[in-house]
Amino acid sequence: MKLKLKIKGKEYEIEISESKEGEVKINVGGKEFVFGKDEEKEKVLIAKPTFPKRDFSKKEIKAPITGVISEIFVKEGYYVKKNQKLLLLSAMKMENEIVSDFEGRVEKILVKKDQEVKGGETLIVLR
Amino acid sequence: MKLIKYGKVFSTQLLAKKIKNPRTWLVLLAKEQVAGYGRKGAVWFSPKGGLYFSIILPKSKIEDLQTLTILAAFIVAKVVKENFNLEPLIKLPNDIFVNGKKIAGILTENVVRPTFGEYPDVKLSVMGIGLNTNIKKFPKDLENIATSLKIELGKKVNNEKILKEIIKGLKEQLKTISE
Repeated sequence: MKLKLKIKGKEYEIEISESKEGEVKINVGGKEFVFGKDEEKEKVLIAKPTFPKRDFSKKEIKAPITGVISEIFVKEGYYVKKNQKLLLLSAMKMENEIVSDFEGRVEKILVKKDQEVKGGETLIVLR
Repeated sequence: MKLIKYGKVFSTQLLAKKIKNPRTWLVLLAKEQVAGYGRKGAVWFSPKGGLYFSIILPKSKIEDLQTLTILAAFIVAKVVKENFNLEPLIKLPNDIFVNGKKIAGILTENVVRPTFGEYPDVKLSVMGIGLNTNIKKFPKDLENIATSLKIELGKKVNNEKILKEIIKGLKEQLKTISE
């Protein structure tokens, strides 16, 4: 039996056949793997499924727009509640109170007072 | 327009930010502020006679709010020009001058909840406007840099009429921006 498999955009030709001895032969792209009834001829390494490395316990507070940090209300090590004021970001026309969306400990403050920040830049890391 | 009138308050901005479940276009009007403030916490002299109010703005994109804030200065200047035949000058971002002295200031404050997504969640937007209307005299340290409609015109003006015109202008402008 011949079949084609497409994995991550690459096509593999696979041929599966059975010998008289009852062995199952699987040919993948020219490489042959033979499986006996109760034995294995070659160990096949199957890749572990990989997931993007994301630390869900870490929460990053990002600048909503470009501006200047005019006030920092917390310090590293502080525990913050949901909706607690963390920073004040002054954009040219507005003052923006950045509040926390979750409870947690302030692990890292990456900005200083009067520092210019770009929209999307990480300001504080909570854990 | 829903209007809540106060007497003496710390600041209409502070009051507005404390309201639970604030209604859009709610206007908080005070006769006097003891801790009125502008950008970067600058003190806004707010004795009786002036027009001090904060507006709860509709939930909008942060960029639209930024545009609306700039436009608010134009709206206030337009109301002053058209009603009193004065020549207001806008000093960007948000100050309005008449005859070289400051007559009005605008401050928009947003409470922003950062999200993991692309767009931040603007929980609340409050625009505060201070317009020196019926202020007879300024203290020594301000008299050379601040003025009022009463000083410029030599007569009293109608605060509520001015307020209504500003709100009307803001509503019209926001419609244009968000369309």
